[in-house]
Amino acid sequence: MNIVTRKLVSKELYVNRWFIAGGAFSGVVSVCVAALGKAGFSVGSLMWITAIIALGVMLALYGVMNERKERSMLFVLSLPLSIADYVRAKMLGLALCFFIPWLVASVAAIVLVLAKGDVPDGLVPYTVLLSVYMLANFLVLLCWTLHVNSEAWISAAIVLTNMGVSIYMFVVGAQPGLQDHLYGPTPVWNQTAWTILIVELGVIVLAFTLPFLLAARRRDFI
Amino acid sequence: MTQTKHIEMRGVRKTYPFFTLDDLSLDLEPGQIMGFVGANGAGKSTTIRLAMGLIAPDAGDIRVLGHAIPEAQGAAKRDIGFVSSEMRLLPHTTIGWHMQFISSIYPEWDAPYAEALVKRFNLRPAQGSGGLSQGEQIKALLMLTLARRPRLLILDEPTNGLDPVARHEVMTEFMDVLRDDNRSILFSSHNTVDVERISDRITFIDRGRVVDCNDKEDFLERWRRIHLQLPPGVTLPHLPGIVSRVVDGQFSTLTTNSYSDGLLALLGNTVRDVQRMSLEEIFVANVFHHREARGQ
Amino acid sequence: MGLVFDSELSIHCMHSMYSGINISQTDARPMYLQIMEQIRARIAVGDWAAGKELPSIRALAAALSVSVITIKRAYLDLENEGVIFTRHGKGSFVADVNGLAGELQAEKIDEHLAAAAGIGRQLGLSEEELATRLRRAIRNLDKK
Repeated sequence: MNIVTRKLVSKELYVNRWFIAGGAFSGVVSVCVAALGKAGFSVGSLMWITAIIALGVMLALYGVMNERKERSMLFVLSLPLSIADYVRAKMLGLALCFFIPWLVASVAAIVLVLAKGDVPDGLVPYTVLLSVYMLANFLVLLCWTLHVNSEAWISAAIVLTNMGVSIYMFVVGAQPGLQDHLYGPTPVWNQTAWTILIVELGVIVLAFTLPFLLAARRRDFI
Repeated sequence: MTQTKHIEMRGVRKTYPFFTLDDLSLDLEPGQIMGFVGANGAGKSTTIRLAMGLIAPDAGDIRVLGHAIPEAQGAAKRDIGFVSSEMRLLPHTTIGWHMQFISSIYPEWDAPYAEALVKRFNLRPAQGSGGLSQGEQIKALLMLTLARRPRLLILDEPTNGLDPVARHEVMTEFMDVLRDDNRSILFSSHNTVDVERISDRITFIDRGRVVDCNDKEDFLERWRRIHLQLPPGVTLPHLPGIVSRVVDGQFSTLTTNSYSDGLLALLGNTVRDVQRMSLEEIFVANVFHHREARGQ
Repeated sequence: MGLVFDSELSIHCMHSMYSGINISQTDARPMYLQIMEQIRARIAVGDWAAGKELPSIRALAAALSVSVITIKRAYLDLENEGVIFTRHGKGSFVADVNGLAGELQAEKIDEHLAAAAGIGRQLGLSEEELATRLRRAIRNLDKK
């Protein structure tokens, strides 16, 4: 990775520093709230999910769409880089911007489930799967915004991915292979769980690599 | 040894649904300033973006500083300074942050010169990028570009939104660039007064085609308005190089793009007055002449 | 590479050297004519003395914020008028029949004569033959 791409990745982290800090902070705070009794758990879980979704939406909106609209993209494109370099830097940079707070929030959540007495450890696989789903969700959204130029289509994607979380929770939570062990005392990693995890990881790999294959090959960037 | 041209565009075509840039050729030699003049939507920005590799041509060849564009744009942009009036600094940062950012990418960054420019353009490094006016944005971008001393400056309406003092400061800096005859500037502008003053060569573009391209002095020498008084019954012979003829009774005004003593002699004592034309007048006359010729 | 200025101050000093020369955009006359007139004026009153070196074309262009070809044109026309002369590779100088400018021109002629003498020797010409050829060349000039 050449110096310009490296500099752009760190620029992405710097420019979005408040989203990163805010996302990590909200994630931890919601986990703390979830630690306060049964009601707290419900509220805290909802806060946790909202915080991560909001983080993703902010990054997609400000990281890509606004840069295009505000024409600061022209400034970046005037640097000694190719269109492929730009796409790479954007992908890596924004993925990292999401990954850091996401990791903090996810680890916090899993620690809570394991540490908190009245929360069954059987929830661990579900938490992990939900967590990884949110990561995959964001990367799909990011991939979409890098390929699509219209504000309308990007807004549509944001709405759809939000809906997706609720649908996911409902559908996946209802899978027999998972449902049976959700409230068990120990985490159970059975075939259902592993299958879902592998699919999610596959989507992550696909969403991450597609821009390098497609968007990076574009000949017109404006 | 012939030096590489800084910009070489040949037969470039770019098609959009409602606009086509066609058969565009443009040459910029080192040590030259080229002014690029055209109405809104004529294709100036499109041409400049093609030169920068931000869009790819549908046909034709583009070479900038010897590099094939858009394939080798990364290498070319090492030595190009590009500022557009549409450009913005990155959000949630400061001017000072940008100075640090640019200096870390370009080793040729001249810090003392940058400081001098900051003062001269009335900027402050601590200023946030979000709160800058259009004029301040452009000045900051120009400062960041000039301080690297790039070999080629490509500027898309660089004086838009600048007050007269700032414009004067900026134009002075451009001319300083040309002290080095290895450097060159391509700038597009509506401001024909500035273009007329500092350009060596001027390219006129209209509706996606290059209408004319010549040394500035050639334009200024070849174009004239000639005011005639023709006694009744006298008609003029067919005259070469007359671009337009306006008749008002006995008084006629001819516009010519090939003024010569010979022409003056042909017209004899019907001539009341010969006037030079400003670049703006030349541009407008030229455009209308070419639109007529194309049946538009 | 171009000149590098370390401070604002030196750029303004540079500009003030020629700050008296001014191009008016509202003046109907072309820029190159305005420049020529102002240079001629300075030479006429003696502010720019005979033999003084004129600023380089690029330096003056930068100082006046005017294109290089405009200055080139002005210098060319001034040289055709005999107001200035250009030594290739050395620059342009204020012309004058007497004084320093004359010395510079005498230097130029000496250089050419030395070269001619050298070639004459190589060809085995005598002093007389060389002098004859020189006289013929002068007569040919008068014929044109």
